[in-house]
Amino acid sequence: MDKVMGSFEGLNERGKIKAAQPLSGQGRILSGGNGNLVVDGPFAESKEAVGGYLVLQADNMNEAVDIARSTPMLKYGITVEVRPLLAECPIFQRHPEFAQRARDRAVRADQLWAAAAA
Amino acid sequence: MSTSTAKSDYLLLFRGNVWDRGLSPAQLQKVVSDWMAWFERLKEEGKCLGGHPLEEEGKVVSGKQGRTIADGPFAESKEAIGGYFYLTVADENEAIEIAKQCPGLEYGSVVEVRPVAEICSVKQRAEEYSRGQLAGATA
Repeated sequence: MDKVMGSFEGLNERGKIKAAQPLSGQGRILSGGNGNLVVDGPFAESKEAVGGYLVLQADNMNEAVDIARSTPMLKYGITVEVRPLLAECPIFQRHPEFAQRARDRAVRADQLWAAAAA
Repeated sequence: MSTSTAKSDYLLLFRGNVWDRGLSPAQLQKVVSDWMAWFERLKEEGKCLGGHPLEEEGKVVSGKQGRTIADGPFAESKEAIGGYFYLTVADENEAIEIAKQCPGLEYGSVVEVRPVAEICSVKQRAEEYSRGQLAGATA
């Protein structure tokens, strides 16, 4: 556990971490029209469940993957999904007729996190 | 034992990113505008601190020292996470009420509502373990 916190602090000092939090094992899953189907967690006993997240400020995918590879918990079987954050929804990209509108209204990642930090 | 933070932060994880396939242009335009308006309103109300869509490409790192690196994409899955909102709300009921407003639900999108924890459950167990050891040693 000390190794995990040490790794985290190291990344934080290098300014690579914009946000990070563990998630509780409890929670709900909503589906169906109007979200009428509500299923309880917990998400504790699953390999697919998301246990936490880091928002990284990395130069590129390679750096993000290198950082992911330094996760000390990997040796105990956890999996790290590395996903680029987007300013605009992929649905817009698939439907170029909405692209300009998307760009007009897109909320830039930096503005968002600046607002969150303020 | 409570793992939720006092101010009740929740993550909404939007699962499934193929639900838009097969929608008519009018339906698409409506669901997307509704989604943007929903996000903007929640931010104005101070209930949503941020959110992002995620790119459908990416990597999955696993194995000791991260030896296994698999490619995304995460596009063709009902389980894949397509994006998230970060909520600050009064309690879980309010988080669920907000999740129910997701415009994608009607088309098969799934919303996972997860309380943000103050400390990692593994760290908590590690601390409980070391406290137990300490108590054992001093007894």
